Amino acid sequence: MASRRVDLGAVDAFIDGQAHRVEIDGRGLVVVRRQDTFYVLRDICPHQGARLSDGSVTGTALECNPGAEIVLGREGEILSCPWHGWEYDLCTGRSLVEPETVRVRTYAVSVEAERVLVELD
Amino acid sequence: MTQVESATDGQVRSAFSLIDCDVHNYPNSIDELMPYLSARWQAYVRQSGFSGPSGPTYPKGFAQAARRDAWPPSGLRPGGDPEFAREQLLDAWNIDLAVLNPLYGMTALHNLDFANALMRAVNEWTAQIWLESDPRWLGSIVVNASDPDRAAAEIKRAAIDPRFVQVLLLVRSSAPYGKRQFRPIFAAACEAGLPVGIHFGGSGNPITACGWPSYYIEDHTAMSQAFEAQLVSLVCEGVFCEYPELRVALIEGGFAWLPGLMWRLDKNFRGLRSEVPWLKKLPSEYILEHCRATSQPMEEPDDPQHLLQIIEMIGRDDFLMFATDYPHWDFDSPDRALPPQVGDSLRQGIMVDNAVSFYGFAPS
Repeated sequence: MASRRVDLGAVDAFIDGQAHRVEIDGRGLVVVRRQDTFYVLRDICPHQGARLSDGSVTGTALECNPGAEIVLGREGEILSCPWHGWEYDLCTGRSLVEPETVRVRTYAVSVEAERVLVELD
Repeated sequence: MTQVESATDGQVRSAFSLIDCDVHNYPNSIDELMPYLSARWQAYVRQSGFSGPSGPTYPKGFAQAARRDAWPPSGLRPGGDPEFAREQLLDAWNIDLAVLNPLYGMTALHNLDFANALMRAVNEWTAQIWLESDPRWLGSIVVNASDPDRAAAEIKRAAIDPRFVQVLLLVRSSAPYGKRQFRPIFAAACEAGLPVGIHFGGSGNPITACGWPSYYIEDHTAMSQAFEAQLVSLVCEGVFCEYPELRVALIEGGFAWLPGLMWRLDKNFRGLRSEVPWLKKLPSEYILEHCRATSQPMEEPDDPQHLLQIIEMIGRDDFLMFATDYPHWDFDSPDRALPPQVGDSLRQGIMVDNAVSFYGFAPS
């Protein structure tokens, strides 16, 4: 199926570090801005269907040994589901726990003339 | 809601479409309960600065253990705004009836008289603020398990209101509920014609048999140990023998552990029956006759067929009753909690009919 580019709005309409919901032809998308970079994912958690746009853009506790200091890393790179807290890599849509089997659909996104454009099927 | 004739089995069944057996309502602060306290206890609250039973021992990763989208625009807490809960839960999912389980931990208070005052206040508050707000809400009578005689009196008082459909206990307790000291609670529930719900949480003892774990993930996962201990106690202490009409709902404790527990208990009974000679049948038969479990938090095996096998191993396909646990973070979605492999008949039972039968819900 040929893809099409869809204008999601002006760059300034998206607050840095927040998840925004956009609907295109009935399809819910979650848009996250990290400074000049944008991420667009399907706005449905594959677990039980919550809107990821109601969740949080966060970091995650980095792997460490038992008893070691737990460090929050990757701040702003993780999208956390509002219901059960499943964590997804904003860039790949993959679950942090089961990256090979659990993922959220991601879409190619670009910025042109201060507009956010997404490639949809 | 009307009654319809089933085309397949010729039996009359209700036309409910969805029943939620576990929803949580909370006072936003002690101020909300003040109108339901006597002048003495109002003064006590003001003088002591009491703001409510103490906070969580395990910080939960989610504020108020709530879904992040369950904070009402009104600024009230999750589960603290009847109108928002109605919109986000009842209306959004077309739920016909929802059982409210206020998790107010008055049982943990050492001052029994104050705990009893709060017990009554919470029940009156539930009736006035929640049950009055929408006929789809149904109530649970909270009781102070630390004072079973006063708890029984409160059950008798509150049960006059037919919108209360069960008595609520929390699974972590100071002693197993089969112990004789708790009999007045079960006697009063039976006298009122109400089942007893035993819900996740509580106070008194650690959830595990080996002490306090460190993390909420352990607390949440290992809570099933407390359910197992309560169930074994209720059976072995003869509570179901003494109260043959008693019904018990195991709420938010999971259910995949049940087959193994019943096998183990039945096996031991064959050799150790003389300890509990009042039992006239296998322990598992008492469990299956008197108890039901809510579905949330749904067990999620990698192979959904294993879920069906667990239900088959439990031995009754009418054992599970659907629950969301709204507004909590481990909410189960009505359209996604059960995998597609669950067939229509089993699904209809879990989502509607088993709760109708257990609680005796009648269409309005």
